[in-house]
Amino acid sequence: MTIRRGVSLYSYQQAQFFKELLLEDQLREVAENLPGADGIETIDELSFPYPDPDAAFVRQWHQWMERYATVPVALDVSMDVLQFRDHVMSYDECADRLRHDLQLAHTLGFRIVRCISVVPLEVMLAALPLAESLDIRLGKEIHQPMPLDGGQVEEIVAFVDRTGTRHLGIVPDFGILQFRPSEVLLDWFQRRGAKPEACEASVALALLIRNGAAPFPLPEMAYRTAGNLRSDLTRWLRTGECEPELLPLFSSVKAFAEAQVPDPSELDHTVVAEALMLSGTRPEHLQELAPYVVHAHGKFYNMTAVPGAPGDYDDISIDYEGGIGALVRGGFDGYVNSEYEGQRYFQDRTRAELADEVEQVRRHQAMLRRLLDRPTEAGVAPAAGGDR
Amino acid sequence: MFENFLIREDSLRNECRGGHVIGFTLAVRNANYRGVYLSLHNGYYLAVDDVEYPVEAQTFEINGRGPRTFEELRGAVWEHWDFDDEAILHVGLPGGLTPGWHRIRFQQSVLAAYGYQPTDEEWVRNPPRPGSGAGSEKSPHIVTYEVALTEKGSD
Repeated sequence: MTIRRGVSLYSYQQAQFFKELLLEDQLREVAENLPGADGIETIDELSFPYPDPDAAFVRQWHQWMERYATVPVALDVSMDVLQFRDHVMSYDECADRLRHDLQLAHTLGFRIVRCISVVPLEVMLAALPLAESLDIRLGKEIHQPMPLDGGQVEEIVAFVDRTGTRHLGIVPDFGILQFRPSEVLLDWFQRRGAKPEACEASVALALLIRNGAAPFPLPEMAYRTAGNLRSDLTRWLRTGECEPELLPLFSSVKAFAEAQVPDPSELDHTVVAEALMLSGTRPEHLQELAPYVVHAHGKFYNMTAVPGAPGDYDDISIDYEGGIGALVRGGFDGYVNSEYEGQRYFQDRTRAELADEVEQVRRHQAMLRRLLDRPTEAGVAPAAGGDR
Repeated sequence: MFENFLIREDSLRNECRGGHVIGFTLAVRNANYRGVYLSLHNGYYLAVDDVEYPVEAQTFEINGRGPRTFEELRGAVWEHWDFDDEAILHVGLPGGLTPGWHRIRFQQSVLAAYGYQPTDEEWVRNPPRPGSGAGSEKSPHIVTYEVALTEKGSD
């Protein structure tokens, strides 16, 4: 059982946007500046001419993989159900797109295809025979605010147990181990005019929820995405309309904000509600599910120096020690890929003030090395990651 | 995402045809971490110096083709707007804009989403108006740019 390290090129999206690092530059960075990392993950619509790169591109890709001794680990694909605009895509049509993307992954040598969290299992199962014939594993991303103990995971576990297939599984995103809103998100909100008290209340609420002391009941989040929940909340704040089952939650979090924040604005309410976007995943549960993990997204928002430990870095909002320890103890065999997502929280600033994606990924890899090179220590470390 | 960088800052130009200024153009990028099928692209909320230019006044130039209306783009269901590619947004305004600085308020609407949404059927029948935040999940706020029109433009 080995845990290997890689990088999702999602991490370099901003460098690609500005054409500071082209695709080959990104591969070279992984190969030459990240000791021990060789895995490459990316998004088909980010890195490649889509939907069908030509033969010259495919040849070039394989040459790069050989030149840099990198391994195409996972291809991340999407599902846009309004593509045809005159109707909502059926499950069959969604499966057609997934089958196309499986063929693309096969052409480029990827052995895993990651579906987004809200793709219905029926769509994945419709594409599973092709995945099996190509020997590609299909993984569903488990992304905050979905928890690991929701129906989305249970149905995959049940199917795998029943059929014995090794070509279906889950892709936990380390964001599910996030236990407080990231400081870079809160800073971004403050630059937009959110009050410091709202940011403090958001962290306080998140930590109450983490410690099992939530001041109000929390509904099932298994079938929601953070983006949709944010949109739902904004709509409710503006119009008073929302799904009935969300009303108690939204009312409670609004009351919490009103008690903590002087004269809270709509933005302040949004900030406090960020505490609801966290999954509250227990590392022990990740350990139990390790046999179903096809690979993991090492999601992070901001790597900062660990006080008093020169050269060590961590993300103060995510329980990496607990998560890596859980994968080690659970016997996970596969890749953890760095997935930096903090860059978007600087993009309201000037070009000179943008985040340094390359440095952030290097720091993240240094942290993974530290945690993985001390598996025994990580393995027995307390699950709590600290509430700094 | 990329809020401050969706319009290239030196890209505002007047557009001339047959010796007449017929409008202005801007170079724009995808407000997401990935490209999308072009059919999903639903147009822009665009106001210049507080004058709004509706989607009907906009055409979109991408993939080496001439400017197309957003009604035409709905049919581009197998054509992709790749992440790397800059597009040119054309806006009809006889006489164009005056030289100098302009305040542009801007939001892109792309009906790409994470899976099925409660709004899907409604958006098939009645696509949302750009500027409402619909189709702008990754850049949910209208962004204000100060952009200078420095060239007269040419045929």
